Amino acid sequence: MSEYIIDTRDVHKVYNPDMDSELHVLKGINLKVKRGEFIAILGPSGSGKTTLLDVVGCLLKPTSGEILIDGVLTNELDDNELAKIRGKKIGFIFQQYNLIASQTALENVELPMRINGKSKKEAEKRASSLLKLVGLGERMYHRPSQLSGGEQQRVAIARSLANYPKIILADEPTGNLDTKTGKKILETLKELNKKKRYTIVVVTHDHRIGKYASKIINLMDGEII
Amino acid sequence: MLDLAYKNIMRQRTRTILTAMGILIGIGAIVALGSIAEGIDAMVQSGLELTAGKITVMEKDAGFFGIMGELTDEDLEVVEGVGGIKDIVPILFYMEGMVMMQGPEWVAIGIDPAKGEYFIGENAEMEDGRMIEEGESGVVALGNSIAERYNVEVGDFWTIKDDDFEIVGVIEKTDITDIDTSIMVNFDDLMDVTDSDTYQMIYVIPDDVKDTERIAEEIEDASERLDAMTTKEMARQASQIVDQIRIFTFAIGAIAALVGGLGVMNTMIMAVMERRREIGVMKAIGATNGMVLRQILTESALISLLGGAGGVMLGVVGSFFVSSIFGGGQITAVVTPGLALTGLGFALFLGVVGGLYPARKAAKLDPVVALRYE
Repeated sequence: MSEYIIDTRDVHKVYNPDMDSELHVLKGINLKVKRGEFIAILGPSGSGKTTLLDVVGCLLKPTSGEILIDGVLTNELDDNELAKIRGKKIGFIFQQYNLIASQTALENVELPMRINGKSKKEAEKRASSLLKLVGLGERMYHRPSQLSGGEQQRVAIARSLANYPKIILADEPTGNLDTKTGKKILETLKELNKKKRYTIVVVTHDHRIGKYASKIINLMDGEII
Repeated sequence: MLDLAYKNIMRQRTRTILTAMGILIGIGAIVALGSIAEGIDAMVQSGLELTAGKITVMEKDAGFFGIMGELTDEDLEVVEGVGGIKDIVPILFYMEGMVMMQGPEWVAIGIDPAKGEYFIGENAEMEDGRMIEEGESGVVALGNSIAERYNVEVGDFWTIKDDDFEIVGVIEKTDITDIDTSIMVNFDDLMDVTDSDTYQMIYVIPDDVKDTERIAEEIEDASERLDAMTTKEMARQASQIVDQIRIFTFAIGAIAALVGGLGVMNTMIMAVMERRREIGVMKAIGATNGMVLRQILTESALISLLGGAGGVMLGVVGSFFVSSIFGGGQITAVVTPGLALTGLGFALFLGVVGGLYPARKAAKLDPVVALRYE
């Protein structure tokens, strides 16, 4: 087994290759993340950090290079196998929370487990304990529209933990939140990292992350600097 | 996934109900119209019991069961020439008040009273009075439904053309429509009243039932203009006709239902567009393309099945109206389990086919694009 939980080797991503609109977003990324690390990827907008997160999160295939997730080379996997890796090994947290509006907080957290084949009962049990973990034990039956931004992001964090992921990937998790709420979200992530030993990768331009991350990687024009 | 599908379609309750209504109307039409075919089938099947073990001789190409036929005594002689026959019974039908699409108001059946049992069967009991007796003239016996419908009883008179006949008996209710709705008259009487010298049918009873096929063939060989049908053959012809009616009624309803199917497709395309982001989320948290496809198909099938179930209910109600409009009481339109299943099956088919395009579209959505879709 690889020493790294995330191991990218010379990863390139080119949009619209050989056209006037060709865009070289990632230029040979070598990102190594060890188990239990809390990595922050910092960079201005357009630096390629979201694309890097998508590629690591198996949402996007790189143009070239190799990506190993928990020792598995993901380049040659088909759509279904990638979906399974996303479901089982990766938990996503988005800037827009991306909760399902028609479902309660509890149901939103259950969803990844239901997709993964768990019974309703099992899923409900874990979902409610995860919501308690992020401090939303009292608001489980609320719909996203009845929750504040910070609360919605907590639901999203609970959801990302549903299937005991190896890696949590967060894309600007504080981007839509005020300073105080954002700070609380970062503290929650830090706690998950410290107490539960989750590996976390956060992409952000929020420099406060420095206080929480165990390592900071700066990205500029598609390269790690 | 079914609970989620139900929840999803109920997010746009009005749209879902309207879409299901489109299917409901089509399936309702299929079931209501199809019930006529089933009713005709039931009637024909019961009628066939009458001909068991007999050969029915009719004129060729004389319409549905030889109803327009003109058989003469010459034809009777031809039949008599064939060997192995126990009895030959000419039968004259007289139909009163023929109305398009509804059939006659009533039918008088002229048969030799001595041989009446060949028509009504040996086991038919009298509810009241007695059967016409051998050589008796000027009297009739009524089928149960007829007596009930016209509210007449033994001792009353029944008018055929210009002559009055005394009602001497009412036959107990049978499960054979042809008997219940008929008026039994002496063959000679009916020939006189209607001023006919031809009749529509000859029953041939073989000495030995095993010879049925052979005798039928010999009759057909002996005359160019005669059709001799065994029960088996009549059943085959009848079911052909019923099948044609089935296909015809299904086709009419299916056109309406197809329009409903387009509605389902339209609704699902809109639903997928509205939920692009959500589909992106589903994929990001581990749903495969196949899961997304099944999810959308389940929703589409569910809408369609809701409409289908409503349509079957509408069809059952509609079949009562159909019974009273068509068939004039002779055909009882019935919604058989098979017909109900056909309705539901077609609804499911429309749901799946209508959902296929939007479901494939949803399955192929690129999660990265869908997730950041505003």
